[in-house]
Amino acid sequence: MPALALYNYELDDACYKVRLALSILSVEYEAIAVDAFPGKEQTKPPLLDLNPLGRLPILRDGDVVLHGAEAILAHLARAYDGSGKWLPAEAAAFASVMQWLQFAASDLSVAREAREQALFDAPGDGTALSTEAARMLRIMDDHMTARSFAGASWFAAPHATIADIALFPAFALSRDFGVDHDEYPALRNWARYVRQLPGFTTMPGIPDYH
Amino acid sequence: MEERNDWHPVALSTSIKPATSAGTRLFDEELVVWRDTGEATHIWEDRCPHRGMKLSFGFVRGDHIACLYHGWQYDAAGQCRYIPAHPDIKVPPAIKVKTYGAAEQDGMIWAALGPDLPPLPSRSATETLPVRSLYLRGGTGRALNLLRDHPPRSFTQEAGPAQIEPVSPTLFRIRAGTDALLIGVQALSGSRTALHIVIAGPAAAYQGAGQLHFLRWANALRHDAETVQVEPAATALGEAV
Repeated sequence: MPALALYNYELDDACYKVRLALSILSVEYEAIAVDAFPGKEQTKPPLLDLNPLGRLPILRDGDVVLHGAEAILAHLARAYDGSGKWLPAEAAAFASVMQWLQFAASDLSVAREAREQALFDAPGDGTALSTEAARMLRIMDDHMTARSFAGASWFAAPHATIADIALFPAFALSRDFGVDHDEYPALRNWARYVRQLPGFTTMPGIPDYH
Repeated sequence: MEERNDWHPVALSTSIKPATSAGTRLFDEELVVWRDTGEATHIWEDRCPHRGMKLSFGFVRGDHIACLYHGWQYDAAGQCRYIPAHPDIKVPPAIKVKTYGAAEQDGMIWAALGPDLPPLPSRSATETLPVRSLYLRGGTGRALNLLRDHPPRSFTQEAGPAQIEPVSPTLFRIRAGTDALLIGVQALSGSRTALHIVIAGPAAAYQGAGQLHFLRWANALRHDAETVQVEPAATALGEAV
């Protein structure tokens, strides 16, 4: 039995970040299905003991229990990435990864809210959420446009990092909340590179080009 | 409508990589712009004849584009060639996507909706470097006013006021000192406009820092477009709120 257990909901974009990282790092894990919709199982005991915020994902790795996709990605990179590239130690690259992880966990969470409103009828003004999510995607597109002038293909380092994994689902799933990819050429190109990462995997809403 | 018969820029060349596709609009018509693995560009109606799915959601394999829903594959002429659910049937010629004129020059991909293809204007630059595509609220007239009111500074030298001149109905040249930009103007709809911006000049002079210089100008232009109330012909520099 694998040492890792992921409390998982297949349609959750934050759980997908963790599944994507686990797949790319070739880490075996047990996925424990949570009835997030319509059951909201994560908001009740006993899962509330593991994450008092009542949100997924939650990762158990031996005695370590973590919640929050970005923290989980950081743990996976430190614990299971022998190359040291996915969470680089060098100061500037490390800080850049942290900056984009923070963006993914805070500012970009509006994309998650927009999607949950659109798909699961979660509370909120769908139009306002989508508009704000589009603004966040534009900030990402602006960044990658400037990066392209230096020949860089990734958000935070000359190679892929966990920042790219944390940012990918919001863009890849944006059609779920009515934001098309037409006006984000730099993100389209970046997403193509993400798709080519060894171990890349999809989720419902992200097509698998067979 | 006469302007439909002009050539219209729909993307920067560098935004459509080989074996990729993207959706866009021209006069509110949905188009798919795609590049095959042989690097030729194609512009079609963005609609699979089978179920109406956007072909821009699909994927390119060789010189075919495949619909995401059921994998129907279309050749470069828009003719359906393969239906995965019926691999042995000869696909009827009637299953065909509407295709439009496509061309590539001056660092941009150009569409002509036809029915007749107008002659392509002569090339304006021997070498170009991409800056960005800029998406703005409002029609093309407002976008052009913004350009006139917020010209870029020169990158290579300090110089006098920038000059903007039309090259064709949809292409403009801005000169700032010895620098030159080409701006392709795309009417996405009556209320949204794309400006496709390239540097007309050698990579040796502009790659990196020069591109960044004009990217910052373009982003500032967009910022002004979104924060200043712009009425056609009523704007002036320094009116920032």
